[in-house]
Amino acid sequence: MFETARYEGRRRLRGAAILTAGVGAYAGFIVWYFTVLEGVNYEDVFRDLPPAMLEAFGIESLSTIEGFLGAQVFNFVWLLGLGLYFAYAAGGTVAGDIETERMELLLSFPVTRSRLLVEKFAGLLVPMIAVNAGGGPIIYLFVVAVGETVPLDHLLLAHLLSIPFLLVCAGVGLVFSVAVDRAAVAERAAVGTVFVLYLVESVVGGADAYDWIQYLSPTHYYEPTPILIDGSFEPIDSAILLVAFVGLLILSQVLFERRDI
Amino acid sequence: MSGETDRPLVVEGLTKDFGSVVANDDVSFTVNRGEVFGFLGPNGAGKSTTIRLLLGLLKPTSGTARVLGADIRDETALTEAKRRIGYLPAHLGFDGEVTGEAVLDYHGEMKGDGRREELLELFTPPVDRPVREYSTGNKRMLGLVQAFMHDPDLVIMDEPTGGLDPLKQEAFNEFVREERDRGTTVFFSSHVLSEVRRVCDRVGILRAGRLVELENVEALLHRSGKHVRVHASDAAVAAIAGLDGVVDPKRFAEGVQFVYAGDVNALLGELATHDVSDVEIGEPPIEDVFAHYYGSEESADGGDDAGEASDGGGEGDGVETPNGGDGAETPNGGDGAETPNGGDGAETPNGGDGVETPDESDGAGATNV
Repeated sequence: MFETARYEGRRRLRGAAILTAGVGAYAGFIVWYFTVLEGVNYEDVFRDLPPAMLEAFGIESLSTIEGFLGAQVFNFVWLLGLGLYFAYAAGGTVAGDIETERMELLLSFPVTRSRLLVEKFAGLLVPMIAVNAGGGPIIYLFVVAVGETVPLDHLLLAHLLSIPFLLVCAGVGLVFSVAVDRAAVAERAAVGTVFVLYLVESVVGGADAYDWIQYLSPTHYYEPTPILIDGSFEPIDSAILLVAFVGLLILSQVLFERRDI
Repeated sequence: MSGETDRPLVVEGLTKDFGSVVANDDVSFTVNRGEVFGFLGPNGAGKSTTIRLLLGLLKPTSGTARVLGADIRDETALTEAKRRIGYLPAHLGFDGEVTGEAVLDYHGEMKGDGRREELLELFTPPVDRPVREYSTGNKRMLGLVQAFMHDPDLVIMDEPTGGLDPLKQEAFNEFVREERDRGTTVFFSSHVLSEVRRVCDRVGILRAGRLVELENVEALLHRSGKHVRVHASDAAVAAIAGLDGVVDPKRFAEGVQFVYAGDVNALLGELATHDVSDVEIGEPPIEDVFAHYYGSEESADGGDDAGEASDGGGEGDGVETPNGGDGAETPNGGDGAETPNGGDGAETPNGGDGVETPDESDGAGATNV
């Protein structure tokens, strides 16, 4: 049971550690930078920015550490950086094995395609969990180290609720991964799709006539800054993300079942 | 399920149409239990397509096959059957970042590895090194270990000896014969005639997606003849080329080359009466076999499909080409005729060159197109 998930997970351990260390280092830099900027009047700095830009970068209350972390760490790293990363990583999972013909060996095992797919995808949970479980404490320690505080439960929620969002991004990658034969194509298509969805949500948010488009984007359903500031979130958003993820997973399985290797 | 034990592989009208090309066109054959079946054909004939169909990697356009009793269109049944199937693909896409040991651990967890140590004594990939450092031959050996280590009832191999040096090829041949004697059924594809004839009991010949011949190895050898190249004087060449069984002689500056389908003793006797400066006797490239016995591409369709033809015994004489593992026209010592490795395993590899440098040799078993 779960031999493939364990094997794939082990393969990702090193990458997960590097990812977590990188994100931690960036968070440390941001926290330090917050202390440098203390006393700057942000209202003045950003007064001239268009509302769409403010919306895009989630710039709400930069004068508090929560708002600053939300904008600089969560909106940039979790929503954009990690969203793209997991779309990219998932894009390579199946297409990479098909390209190297490793898939022939894997499918000679006594395991069904759907199970193989789920277990291979499960390997991605290692970096996904590591970057949250490792990144959260690192951020907290940095914040404490500079003499600030951030509510623990808010921080925990921001990390926890990122998981459904990241699963959807990875799910987008997985669909491309089973649909094409070349890893590079699947990876680029997945990254491009998630990035376009991110832009669409950011830009269209302001235009009333087209605001329905933003509902297509997974980024619409995970807003870390309000979570960090006052712990507010909509449970329905996470539910929508989870349903979307399950849908993408089922679609991947159907495509993978039907295709020739 | 009654047929399962006796006929591990039953292929019935298997067809795969890729749209641009029909890679398998109504292919039918059966492989019996404890038999080594060679699946022969030029590159691009559709051998790998058949194998991928048998493993459920491709979906048949029409027709089907039963592998250890499981219909290849039934994923659940085929998945269960795969516990007893070993597979060696033509291209081994192992995960390069991990060691051979880790690869075998994973494969062992998935399907069992009871014979792993025993096999690692026979085939010797450097299991403590990352696979990305492996030569083609080492990868092949790792592939052989994983294909056999769970002691499968049926082993399917696609071009199994590519990249193996001659010694390892001979070890492989010997191993396959032993496995057959233990009751394992072996199905493998090859485009090298010499490889197939050394170990196979029966062969199927695939050409342009169609099975054009199905017969035992003796009959095939009898029909395929020898590729002979003689350096001698014009008079001698004329006499030699006039022998019965000489097909398609072609003169060149110092001599003649032809395909010889007659009695080898007669040829050797004739050669001995002339002042021959050099002679090479080898196996004809498989493409030549096709050209001679199945005509051109178009007329291949007229071939006698899938009859269990076995027209008469082989040559039975024993004088044959050396066992170079090359399949090409160059016999390994320049000495031409040598005692063959009949069915016994022959621990006489060629030359004594190439002996223990398995690493970089990757062309050894290949080809002569």
